[in-house]
Amino acid sequence: MKSTPYNLVMSALYKGMKGNRPPAGNPTSIVCHGLMDACGISFPEAHLNPQAMAELALAGHEILGFDTVMPEYSVDQEAAALGCEIDWGDRDRMPDTKFFPHADFSDVVVPKDFVEKPSIRVVLDALSILRRHVGGKVAIIGKVMGPWTLSYHVAGTQNFLLQIGMEEKEKVKKMLRQLMPATIASARAQFQAGADIVVLADHATGNLVGAYHYEEYLLPIHKELTATIEGPLILHVCGNCMDRIEMFADAGFDAYHFEWQVDAKKAVEKVGHRMCLVGNVNNAETLYQGTPDDVYKQARYAIEAGVDIIGPECAIPLATPMENLKAIVSAVHEGY
Amino acid sequence: MSDILQQIQEAIIKRKRAEIQGLVETAIGQGIDPNAIIDNGLIAAMDVVGQQFSDSEIFVPEMLVSALTMKMGLDVVKPLLLKSGNTQSRGTILMATVKGDMHDIGKNIVIMMLEGAGFKVMDLGVDLTVEKLMEQIETVKPDIVGLSALLTTTMPEMRRSIQVLKERGLKGKVKVMVGGAPVSAAFANEIGADGYGADATEAVELARRLISDL
Repeated sequence: MKSTPYNLVMSALYKGMKGNRPPAGNPTSIVCHGLMDACGISFPEAHLNPQAMAELALAGHEILGFDTVMPEYSVDQEAAALGCEIDWGDRDRMPDTKFFPHADFSDVVVPKDFVEKPSIRVVLDALSILRRHVGGKVAIIGKVMGPWTLSYHVAGTQNFLLQIGMEEKEKVKKMLRQLMPATIASARAQFQAGADIVVLADHATGNLVGAYHYEEYLLPIHKELTATIEGPLILHVCGNCMDRIEMFADAGFDAYHFEWQVDAKKAVEKVGHRMCLVGNVNNAETLYQGTPDDVYKQARYAIEAGVDIIGPECAIPLATPMENLKAIVSAVHEGY
Repeated sequence: MSDILQQIQEAIIKRKRAEIQGLVETAIGQGIDPNAIIDNGLIAAMDVVGQQFSDSEIFVPEMLVSALTMKMGLDVVKPLLLKSGNTQSRGTILMATVKGDMHDIGKNIVIMMLEGAGFKVMDLGVDLTVEKLMEQIETVKPDIVGLSALLTTTMPEMRRSIQVLKERGLKGKVKVMVGGAPVSAAFANEIGADGYGADATEAVELARRLISDL
């Protein structure tokens, strides 16, 4: 196998042949102020304009040296298309959902032209631009939100969690089921537009909700999603998910993108034979506040533990120094 | 402990929202001191809930419902305290989520627990600029300011808030406690915060400690 970025990532995803080194990948945003300055593209433009979105993603490969390009920096693209009011933020601030149209748990209908809504279209167009530039050379990653995260957006996070606590089971299950078509439509359209892999982010976060919540509400839905969406999927769930990591493999995901809180060795031991693992360099203390040497050591720890694709654990703080991101790339270039 | 206080605790721990008001009314009817209802019924129950949360037996959905149940009980007792003039506050706390961060569940749970523990709490909401925070500190003159952040992207705002407090000569006059998923004791220490709480129970403990240090 030729050790090109694309081959390294795709082979690692399917746990196939190993090239001369592990790949560095970013299922979530690696945009920081330094990267914005280096390529002259900033937030919020990169959330709203496909060319800007694609160019900033490309900078992650060309300037930082990652083996993937991932053009969706926020978690709000689907929410906007579902009628939520989005504050698109600025250079220093990530976007956020401001108004929850289904706080009353009223019926959600995913519009027929969902993937043509501007906030979805921008990602699809950015993926197609990336395909034309680096298709077959660098792995192109798309990103969609799962029904759990979309429920936070349309109903409000606290409100949604409260209904779960009150055991309003039918209400919660109905909401999740009504949102599934948005995830499916978005993922399929991203593959058609040029994504090699799609990240499915669904924030049934460890420490926030329990493994028993995941098993009851989300596992059946994730099984259906992985069976319906044909292309390879990386699941992203934040927090310490050691208690549910085997369920993620049961759900049928090709890969899991995980946090530093989950020890890499233990994660590999538990599910490394069933799915690809992506991660898990710590954001808050290491990438944001640590030194390049700290980052390098964590990345090497992950490589030695058997993590397949090395990268930050989640979307990085905007003030992360570029040198720290480059230290991940240095660590993978040393080989296995 | 009296039977009714036991039942009040159980209603909060087991999230029986429909029963709590009736139980608290019964306790009042039995002539139990309102402060005892709060301390030995409502707060004692939340200590148990906090422990269950720390032990990962329950998670935020259950914690929210227990906190809501406690608040429903508190709302029944509070007018009695006002009537008797027995309202000694254990201190005033301003709570906010820092600029750029819209996440407030953790903060809201902490607020409910602090109120239950007898503190006067003012909620300044989410996405609060440092400038607005300083205005409020100068107006309200709280004992403690609690800052929350869920995103690693917004943690730098905590550092900035404490820097501005120092510049304005307010550091030391008001204690700062910080919390939120990406925040750690080491980070709190490094930015000059007076304390860090890993969860709502720790936050209440910390607030009690900070007040006694004043």
